[in-house]
Amino acid sequence: MAEVILRQLTKQFGEITAVDKVSLKVADGEFLVLLGPSGCGKSTILRLISGLEDATSGEIVIGGELVNFTDPTERNVAMVFQNYALYPHMTVFKNVAFPLETAKLNRSAVKDAVERTAAILEISELLDRHPEQLSGGQRQRVALARAIVREPLVFLMDEPLSNLDAQLRLQTRLELMALHQRLGITTIYVTHDQVEAMTMGRRIAVMQSGRLQQVGAPVDVYQTPATTFVATFMGAPPMNLVAGDVQVENGGWQFATAGYTLEIDPSVMGIEASTLQESAGPATLGVRPEHFSLAPPAADGLPGVVQFLEPVGSDLFVAVGVADHLIQVRMPPDAAVSEGDNVRLTFDPAKSHIFGKNDRNLRAVFD
Amino acid sequence: MTAGHAEVDAIDSEFEFELDHIAVEQAARRRRITAGVRRFGAYATLTLFVAIAVGPAIYLISPAFRDSVSLFAYPPEWVPSDPTLENYRFLFRNTEYVRWGINTLIYASGVTVVSLVTNTLAAYAFDRLRFPGRRVLFFVILATLMIPVAAVLAPTYLTVRTIGGWPLIGNYVDLDTFGGLILPAAVSPLGVFMMRQFIETLPDGLYEAAKLDGASDWRIFRKIVLPLLKPALVVLGIFVFMITWSSYLWPLVVATGDDHRVLTVGIQSLNGQFVTNWGVIGAASLLTIVPVTIVFLFFQRWFVQASMAGALKQ
Repeated sequence: MAEVILRQLTKQFGEITAVDKVSLKVADGEFLVLLGPSGCGKSTILRLISGLEDATSGEIVIGGELVNFTDPTERNVAMVFQNYALYPHMTVFKNVAFPLETAKLNRSAVKDAVERTAAILEISELLDRHPEQLSGGQRQRVALARAIVREPLVFLMDEPLSNLDAQLRLQTRLELMALHQRLGITTIYVTHDQVEAMTMGRRIAVMQSGRLQQVGAPVDVYQTPATTFVATFMGAPPMNLVAGDVQVENGGWQFATAGYTLEIDPSVMGIEASTLQESAGPATLGVRPEHFSLAPPAADGLPGVVQFLEPVGSDLFVAVGVADHLIQVRMPPDAAVSEGDNVRLTFDPAKSHIFGKNDRNLRAVFD
Repeated sequence: MTAGHAEVDAIDSEFEFELDHIAVEQAARRRRITAGVRRFGAYATLTLFVAIAVGPAIYLISPAFRDSVSLFAYPPEWVPSDPTLENYRFLFRNTEYVRWGINTLIYASGVTVVSLVTNTLAAYAFDRLRFPGRRVLFFVILATLMIPVAAVLAPTYLTVRTIGGWPLIGNYVDLDTFGGLILPAAVSPLGVFMMRQFIETLPDGLYEAAKLDGASDWRIFRKIVLPLLKPALVVLGIFVFMITWSSYLWPLVVATGDDHRVLTVGIQSLNGQFVTNWGVIGAASLLTIVPVTIVFLFFQRWFVQASMAGALKQ
């Protein structure tokens, strides 16, 4: 076990910067999820940590040791690949034993270790089979077994659940978390699935275009996104964004958009007055679907017309047209609302966000 | 018109058109005839090609079982009326055929084994290892494919003769030695290219997984790549064996004595200056084809499988 530190890590492929000055510290025994859309550089970070790619600049430290120039075979990290990468010509036993045999362990030690690991992952009865005779879930377990059998310092997982069907994914997710609790190995887990990230990570690191956007506990990242990208990437449906302007009116700060003005109380919204001063001009208001309420047309809120309803059983999603935006509102399934209703959307300013220049959240926590 | 027809017609007229049964039948007949003619054409063409391809080999069978007098009988006799094994007796008693056979087996097996090792290693290096000049070197190797064998015959001969003058290695690689026969034939650009194509189809994930499992390049080659290349090795092995078995030019030049003479050169030496016993040559040629045919038939299933596997992957 070991902590992993990335300092200003950068990777360029020709003209393209896949990873752009990423600094991140993963504590010993932590389960960190790297989350982002495809092509955002998260898998490249795993490959850099494992040594399969060389960093263009920056440092990678594993267990207090700079490993930039250490061969992947000597970094003692294990990786579970998206397609498992099992050796097709070897039995499950041979697959799991491969890293140990490579390390020249004696035969009885190899046998003991493989059997012990197989028992943990419940694949003892599959040891004589070949990978082609296994189901997706079983292959996944074998890949995990091969990774943990040599007790690596760091465990890297590259979308390990993406090839499983929905139900199996749910089950394996729970099993992976149980496994991590049991072994306590530092784990960096890459996914593009925000539900997976929210449920599995103690901390999640959200990436976009090679840059780290935000690192934090899942709830914090969800409730207080650092950028509009994080706001819309996390959550389904995503946070609603309304374009407008931050301006001064009668000595007080306002966010103004078509047909509606929000008085900004800096203490309620957690924004420094100086930040508002710097951010005067075009801005974006962000409110999560569950923080909106529908009010009669006379109330004070964003004016809109109900466009359509999406009942999903546990909730009722109401799409409201506000100027040229379509706002998603989450309501209880039995809410009395119908298409064509004129409504006002009200919300608690303390739970709303204003994103200023560079799409960054104006809240003081991000200063 | 039967009741059934009347019913159909009634339905047809309901949709306001009438089926012209005669026209339909005529069209069907025309189609049958066209298809028949086409099929006949196709079979005739294929038969012609098969005749051209295997005709000479079949023609070999007849003289191999006839005495030299009846060979020139007129009108020519395709099936021998009085088959004899005299040609074979002559071959085994009066010529060095068995010796040539053993030499050819050593030569062909030697080239096959050595070339499988060298071609696979070279292909692995070109596909997986990163070293300066990799692309240029691979291109140069491929470019040698375009040089005719006859053009490099003299330089190769001189090289082998020079090596023959060196201490130690000269005892094994020289003119008129198996080393001299085998070594120049042991690396083929085509083999390197073919194995590289196969190695390329193996997913990158396997190398990466093995690398993270702590395996060196050599161990990855031995434990992961080589076992997965088995079908490709069989294909290349058969190719090389068959080509070497029937090769003529290089053995003719380098192995001049009877000790290392191979079958192709040996059979050619049966041609007399004034008289040629075609029956004996036929028998010798027929016997020479047998081992390669057996090798091919034995591995045929693998052969087809492997070529398919290579073709279907990605």
